[in-house]
Order: sequence, then structure tokens, then C-alpha cells
Amino acid sequence: MAYQLYRNTTLGNSLQESLDELIQTQQITPQLALQVLLQFDKAINTALANRVRNRVNFKGSLNTYRFCDNVWTFVLNDVEFREVTDLVKVDKVKIVACDGKSSDYFSHSSLIIRPRLFLTQ
Amino acid sequence: MASSANSNPVPKLYRSVIEDVINEVRELFLDEGVDEQVLMELKTLWENKLMQSKAVEGFHTEEQAALQAAAHQQAQQAQQATQQAQAQQVLLPPQQQVTSWQSTRPTVTSAPQQQVIVQDPKILQHMSATGMSAAATAATLALPTGVSPYHQLITSQGQILQFVRAANGAQYIIQPQQQMVLQQQVLPQMQPGGVQAPVIQQVLAPLQGGHPQQTGVIIQPQQIVLTGNKVQQNAQVMQMPGQPGQVQQIQQQVQQVQQAQGGAAPGPPQQQAKQQPPMMLQVDGAGDTSSEDEDEEEEEYDEDEDEDKDKDGGEDGQVEEEPLNSEDDVSDEEDQELFDTENVVVCQYDKIHRSKNKWKFHLKDGIMNLNGRDYVFSKAIGDAEW
Repeated sequence: MAYQLYRNTTLGNSLQESLDELIQTQQITPQLALQVLLQFDKAINTALANRVRNRVNFKGSLNTYRFCDNVWTFVLNDVEFREVTDLVKVDKVKIVACDGKSSDYFSHSSLIIRPRLFLTQ
Repeated sequence: MASSANSNPVPKLYRSVIEDVINEVRELFLDEGVDEQVLMELKTLWENKLMQSKAVEGFHTEEQAALQAAAHQQAQQAQQATQQAQAQQVLLPPQQQVTSWQSTRPTVTSAPQQQVIVQDPKILQHMSATGMSAAATAATLALPTGVSPYHQLITSQGQILQFVRAANGAQYIIQPQQQMVLQQQVLPQMQPGGVQAPVIQQVLAPLQGGHPQQTGVIIQPQQIVLTGNKVQQNAQVMQMPGQPGQVQQIQQQVQQVQQAQGGAAPGPPQQQAKQQPPMMLQVDGAGDTSSEDEDEEEEEYDEDEDEDKDKDGGEDGQVEEEPLNSEDDVSDEEDQELFDTENVVVCQYDKIHRSKNKWKFHLKDGIMNLNGRDYVFSKAIGDAEW
């Protein structure tokens, strides 16, 4: 089972919102929506692993760190993200990182910032 | 070309993920007995939300722009669409009505008379389809001012004058002739309360000989202002048959409609005025507790804490000043970008290392949302001091 980590991204949230709308109008069942999300997890994990090939460097100051359930959560301040092409500066950034070595058998859904209703079954 | 090779990989990645997911779940949908159309709707919703979020640059915009351009071209091939396009052109820049009318004249003259009549309802429908609010169209159909949306006045010459009521409440009358002399009458606004007075324009055709062809030109009112859900502006455009007798009849018709609208216009504004009085002014001091009591019923916990804090600050700090000033915010949040987004990076870690207070991060396969925009990386290396 792939990480559900990426559900709280623009791509993942827009998918969840769309599924919510279809559930509201009763065009799909919540079970089906869950299946779609599981499929999304697989697809995004595969895509990131295989289709992305760029490096980013960043530098800043660490405000907080947390390690729980094999998930690191950092909050950094005054960070510069540098890619070959451009530079992005932010005052505050939160980094959530799952273990890259092993695929999870926890759902990690509780660690996602905005849990969805139909995940809690 | 080198710059385009380094172009943003995010849209392509997202599109490929969408395609993969949709294709994979197609079977799931069919197993559940859900129609393929629902699947397409899911895809459309998904893509639309992505576009709306503006987190991704150039996501599908090129494709959709091409589709829209193709759709427009197909529509414009039909003669009906030409008038509709003119209607749109006339609708959009209300202040340029004269110029737009003049500019659209030559193409309109080619429209035969019959088509003008037939296309009016379609113009109405098209207007309503071009994004007019449902309330506006409902208001139009409901005839709030008692004027029917579709007047036909058959003159002595047998020509049909048509009042077309657009979704904005503006009335358009199709002009049958090329040579037109515009006369505009602007009535003063009835009330400053946000209700626009009807702006009525009279178009008088020259009394010279009539042209057999009708021009489907539509004149816009100068001001179109939507006040809340009400559309109070009515513009009348007269069809000009080109005959003096017909002109007089048209003028009478306009006056009748003006009176009807004039009678109707003060009605709703008065109703609006009547609805406004219940606002009460607070004349007593600022330290009243009536609203606080109401809040306390709902959120007792928070209110009690706040009151206690305020009292303490007032007593310990400056007793003379109001407790509101004693704890000023020191936040520097205003320095950030206007985006409300919390910048988030969602990824996996290869190695996290710490030496004293120096941290090193080795991350991979991440999606970042920084300053409202999305980025991806396959590897990220970072340093930070704690």
C-alpha cells in the first residue's frame, strides 16, 4: 500500500474535493471514492519516483522538529529553496516526510493535516 | 530552446497522474455500475479545481483555449452566431454602445429580415447562456416591471418591431435599417440607494426612404449596474422601420414602457428603503456587556479567558487606558506574501542527520507548495540550524 502522504497536495485535495462533490450528488459511493484515492496514491507515488528528475537545495533555520510513527515533521523559518533555474524564499515552511526506505503499513491518514470525512470508516 | 527544455515539469506530471488515475479507476467505476459520464465529470471537476487553484502554471490552459477558439469559430460560421456575437459585443462594453453599434452596422445589414425575427429568442437564450446569473434570467422571465419580455408591434407597414429583453433587464430593440440617428435620453437616478434609474435611449430613424433589409443591430444601454439581485435598468432600443408613422408609434410605445418602468422603479426602491430602518445605533458607551453575554452563552470558555486576561492587563499595566491597547501584536506576519497558503513540503526522507544543532536533510520524491505555487523534486538536500 502506497503512502497516503500526497493526498494533502493541490493535486490530491482537488481530487478529494471532486470526489466529495460526486458523493454529495450521490453519483458515486464513498467506497468508490476511497478506491479512487487509493489508486491516486499508487499513481502519484509511481509518478514521483519515475517521472521526476530534478534536485532542489534548501537552507534555513529550524524552528521545530518532531519524529513520531516514523514520520518527521519540521518547521523551518526564512528558507531559501534553490533549484538550478530559480530561487524561492519563504518565511515559514512545514516539511512532512515519511520514511523513504520502506512503504508503510500504517495509513498515516491521521497525520495528514486536513482529514477527509470518508477516510474515517 | 534551452529555456523551454527546463520548463516546468509540474503540469505534465499532473496531467499524467490524472490520466493514469482515470484510466485505472474506469474499471472500478464499471464494476460498481457507475456510468462513464460520471468518470468524465470527475476528471473535469479535478482539472477545473487544479486550474482554479492557480498553483500550477499553464495547466491545460492551452488545450482549453484552443477548444474554445474552435467552438467560437464553429459558432460564428452560422449566421445566427454573428448576431449573437454582436449582441455580446454590445453587451460587454456598455459605454461604447455608439461605437460598437456603428462598427457592427455593416455586417448586420446582410441579415435578412426573417432571420432577425427568428433569432431573437435565440439571442435571449444565448445571452442567458453566456453566464448571466440565474437570478437575472429569472427576473427577466418573471417580468418584475410588468413589461413582457418580448413585445412585437406590428406597424402599419407590416414590419414587426421587436422588443427584446435581455437577461440584464436591458431591453434591446432590433433596428431594421442602416441609417440611424441616435438620440439618447438619460433619466436621472431615482434614488442614490444603489438603484440605478432606467436608462432609456431612443433611437430615431431618419425619415428617409426605408431600406428593405433589416439590420439586426442591437443598442446597449449606457449603464448596466446590478444592484444585489435586482436589475433595475431598462434600456429600450427601438426598431426603426424608417417610416414617420412608425416612428411615432415607436415613440408612443417607448413612452408607455417608460411610464411602466418609471412606475415600477420607485416601487422596489421604496421597498428597499423600508427594509433598511431596523439598524440600530449604539449610543451608550463601549463597555456594554450585552453582546458579550450573548457570546458567553455560546462560547463561555473563550470569553471568560479573554475577559480575565483583559482585566489583568488593565490592572497591572496602564490603568487609565483601555485594556485593548495593552497587548499589542508583535507579529511580523505582514511581511509575508499575500498568499494565505501555508508553505508545505510533502516528501519522503532518505536520511536525517544532526550534529549539535546543525541538521542535514536528505529528502526525496516531494511535492512543494510555496507561495501558492506547486513544485516537485526527486531529491532535496537541506541544511538548517536549530
